[in-house]
Amino acid sequence: MLPDPSPTAPHSRAATPRRRRTALRRRTAAVLAVTLASGLALSGCATAGSDVVTIQFMQNKPEAVEYFADLVQRFEEENPDIRVVQGNSEAALVPGLIRGTPPDVTTRGWAYASADFAAKGIYADLSDLEAADRVDPSAQELVNSWGQYNGTEVSALPFSLAGAGVIYNEAIFAQFGVEVPTTWDEFVAACEVFAANGVTPVYGTYKDSWTLAQGLFDYTTGGLVDVAAFYAPPEDGAAPVTRSYTKTFAPAVEKMKTILSYTQKGAATRSYPDGNAAFAKGEAAMYFQGPWALSEINGINPDMQIGTFALPMTNDPADTKARVNVDSALSILRTTEHPAEARRFVEFLMQPEVVEAFNTDHAAFSPLTDAPAQANPQIAGLDPLFKAGRYYQGAVTYMPPAVPAQNYIQYFAGTGNGEGLLRNLDEDTQRVADRLVPTTTN
Amino acid sequence: MTLPTLLEAPPRDAGPAPAAAPPRRHARLDRTYLVMLVPVLALFSLFIVFPALTGVLFSFTNYAGYGDWKFIGALNYVNMFKDPTILQAYLFTFFFALVSTLVVNVLSLALALALNAKIKWRTGMRTLFFIPMVLSGLVVAYVFNYLFSNTIPALADSLGFTPLASSILSDERFAWIAVVFVTVWQAAPGVTIIYLAGLQSIPGEVHEAAELDGAGGFRKFASITLPLILGYLVINVILGFKGYLGAYEIIVALTGGGPGTATQSVAMKIFSGFTGGDYAYQMANAVVFFIITVAISLFQLRIIQRRGVSL
Repeated sequence: MLPDPSPTAPHSRAATPRRRRTALRRRTAAVLAVTLASGLALSGCATAGSDVVTIQFMQNKPEAVEYFADLVQRFEEENPDIRVVQGNSEAALVPGLIRGTPPDVTTRGWAYASADFAAKGIYADLSDLEAADRVDPSAQELVNSWGQYNGTEVSALPFSLAGAGVIYNEAIFAQFGVEVPTTWDEFVAACEVFAANGVTPVYGTYKDSWTLAQGLFDYTTGGLVDVAAFYAPPEDGAAPVTRSYTKTFAPAVEKMKTILSYTQKGAATRSYPDGNAAFAKGEAAMYFQGPWALSEINGINPDMQIGTFALPMTNDPADTKARVNVDSALSILRTTEHPAEARRFVEFLMQPEVVEAFNTDHAAFSPLTDAPAQANPQIAGLDPLFKAGRYYQGAVTYMPPAVPAQNYIQYFAGTGNGEGLLRNLDEDTQRVADRLVPTTTN
Repeated sequence: MTLPTLLEAPPRDAGPAPAAAPPRRHARLDRTYLVMLVPVLALFSLFIVFPALTGVLFSFTNYAGYGDWKFIGALNYVNMFKDPTILQAYLFTFFFALVSTLVVNVLSLALALALNAKIKWRTGMRTLFFIPMVLSGLVVAYVFNYLFSNTIPALADSLGFTPLASSILSDERFAWIAVVFVTVWQAAPGVTIIYLAGLQSIPGEVHEAAELDGAGGFRKFASITLPLILGYLVINVILGFKGYLGAYEIIVALTGGGPGTATQSVAMKIFSGFTGGDYAYQMANAVVFFIITVAISLFQLRIIQRRGVSL
């Protein structure tokens, strides 16, 4: 009854895993690993008869792989009839769709590309999940504002919101007796104080054009324009909306020029890592970046006192809003073979304690109603705005990728030609709309 | 003399002649011939011809790279010709390819002449000048990105030389100079090697005869050296120009197409279609670019044939 030690028949071995266990011990480490892996995979299959279902989970945040692995383990313990396999390649989604083997559950950042998938109907409707009722309506609106499939469907539930604003050096603010500005005039006055004392008011990193787009451009336009309304898709059957950047964004561009004048000399040659390093060394009072920069800055200067405030764009503090993006939203693929199990997994992830623990750990904001206050002092300044639902998604995130908006904004920062920037955006948007019309009337 | 022997030019008239028919062609096909040809043809068709034809097909659709699609005729082509950003990319690419070809060849020829002269440590020098060719263009461009953005401005600033105190990469009028500079820096060694091979193929007697006739340095170069290496010049110009038309990685690593859209090449524009949902549109762009490249190549081949040079 001694098992055959040669690793030539993995199938027969795995078919009777228990009997072969003694033989396994004798094998070399490499063979053992391979055999174990196939044994595991097959034990999933073997028990499939006893109703263990495997669902594929595509998770988009590489920094949170282990975090989600723990969550998956907890879920599997509570639900022994479901196995969850976590994958992290967002690029594999489209090939999966083409082959007809997409994942069952996904998390994605929700912006243009995800909304485009939703518009093609690849996601199931989640509106009747229990968890859907716990999501703050204004957070859900961030997803829905991109357009809803069939007019009413909810293609994704927001899981994590990233709030971005002006990161400021508390020590420099205190040194010159500057309070956190709540109006545009106070902001300009603060910049004047810093400039007069030889401190760079705002650190600019124009070399990385995305920093200009998400900071300067999105903050100023988000504070002055109703961004969601500007980009609202046309009602069904209505004529395509004509949007004019030149008409709507001109006041914001004027204020961008003011802010640009308060950035350091040579900002055009500075990149995002340069900016993080310079800000961490106290070379500037303010820095237009999101929470992703905080971990970089903390890494360089762990003792630094940092806060975040939303850039006030008018002289009424009630107008001030924070820039938000849906960093992670949960969806179920319409084609999944295990809709009930996928829904149980989504319900598990959307439990208040799971959502809130994740967002506290990742310097993000919970999209649920009645979320506790954000305890992280570095972003707590945005918390009241999130509580009140006073936030907007950046204008640049709404633009089709075929419009090289970041390059145009960089061009504007270098030349000061605001009219050119808005004209470029208008003309490109029109051209892209012209050639995408056949797709939408498919 | 390791390098020179390595770089020995093949005899002028012994170029490969793949088109030459095997002698027993009419009797029966040589099996060796088939064994060599068929797998290559199959792989080439599978990995080059078939995907290319698929791309051409999709250029007549509204395909976004995924999802449904339908044929929309030549609409992508019509829209393309109305798109000034594409026109700008074409203008930049051709301008860049012309300038780079010119600079690379002038510089490399000068370098080859110097390295072929009787100088000290000639082999060592040749090796030294060969090094840039070993480095990846992307790596070189990232290093120069740092030099242009940090080192040179800091140096210029401390020397009080204001024109260079700001990075050349952030100036949309001059960023192309940086792109050309790095391209030349990286491409010159390969071109120099071909010129060196050419120079070594010139028999010494020709120069001696010219000297006996009283020709000076410049006269010898213009009347003896240049005509004798003309074939090498033509090859360098043609291969170089074709290569620079496809400029991509050096620009991506240096400027990312910026500042603004000042240094966007056609290849970058085409590639943007994969992430921008503009797949079919940029496929049309790729087809047009392909036709233009083929036309240029055919034109150049005619010149080559007239010169009696074979690639």
